[in-house]
Amino acid sequence: MTVKAQKVIIVPCSGIGKPYGTVSREAAYEVTEDLRPGQTQLVPLALLVLGDEESRSVVAACPAVTIDGCKLACAAKMVQQSGGTIAQEFAVLDVYRRYKDLKPQGIAELNEGGQKLARVLAEEVTAVVDGLFTGKQGGENA
Amino acid sequence: MSDFLETTVDKFTFKVATDCFYNAEGVWAKEENERVRIGLSDFVQQRSGDVAFAEIKPVGTVLAAGEELAVIETIKVNITYTSPVNGKIVEVNPSMNDAPEAINQDPYGAGWLAVMEVADWGAERAKLLDPQAYFKIMKGQAEEETKKL
Repeated sequence: MTVKAQKVIIVPCSGIGKPYGTVSREAAYEVTEDLRPGQTQLVPLALLVLGDEESRSVVAACPAVTIDGCKLACAAKMVQQSGGTIAQEFAVLDVYRRYKDLKPQGIAELNEGGQKLARVLAEEVTAVVDGLFTGKQGGENA
Repeated sequence: MSDFLETTVDKFTFKVATDCFYNAEGVWAKEENERVRIGLSDFVQQRSGDVAFAEIKPVGTVLAAGEELAVIETIKVNITYTSPVNGKIVEVNPSMNDAPEAINQDPYGAGWLAVMEVADWGAERAKLLDPQAYFKIMKGQAEEETKKL
């Protein structure tokens, strides 16, 4: 028996001041707006922190993919505290370690390396999303 | 098992291992069977942030105290750390290649950087800060850092 998702929630880091947080958000936008717009929904971490009822209910109802900018893992922690189920946790730093030539720099605007890293990350998240829709967990980190 | 001097500055708690000696950068040195294990202090790893990569000089490298030992890339900065002692690198932590986060997780244990062979540990130790002296300096540095927040 396989369990197929109806929607996959994407929750990125909301940190400011470091490029890794920006990479996480760029990747999330790429997945939710370009790669899998109908199958994914972006939920801002800030709304979960605020306890926004609508966001909490969405997170509680659908599998989530979290993308954290650092090891504090705020996105993953807040999804768990909101009653959600994490299908896959990503950390930008872990992906960067596999793509050392894609060093992210810049905060408001990422450099080329950061943009490419966000693209790589988005593709890995998309693989997980696809796996959830087919009932198979996908992605290199799965 | 190390004992620690410990201080809390703002919301951060920093530990200084009492069985190590330190240079002013916060690189620790610990004598073990006539060799010296080297690593970064808890304060240094917390101030630097999550480690992405650690590039340590290879085995066989002869270093004078103050010469470049390692370059650590974190999510915040790239920092060069220098050797606290004169000696030759005889071992590099193999986990630094694929799990450099050990520096953050266990700075006085699994996160060690290298082991060096030194000619005269007693003479080397005399040039380093003892735990109490480093603790005092580190506390001052930590308080300065928190003023920037």
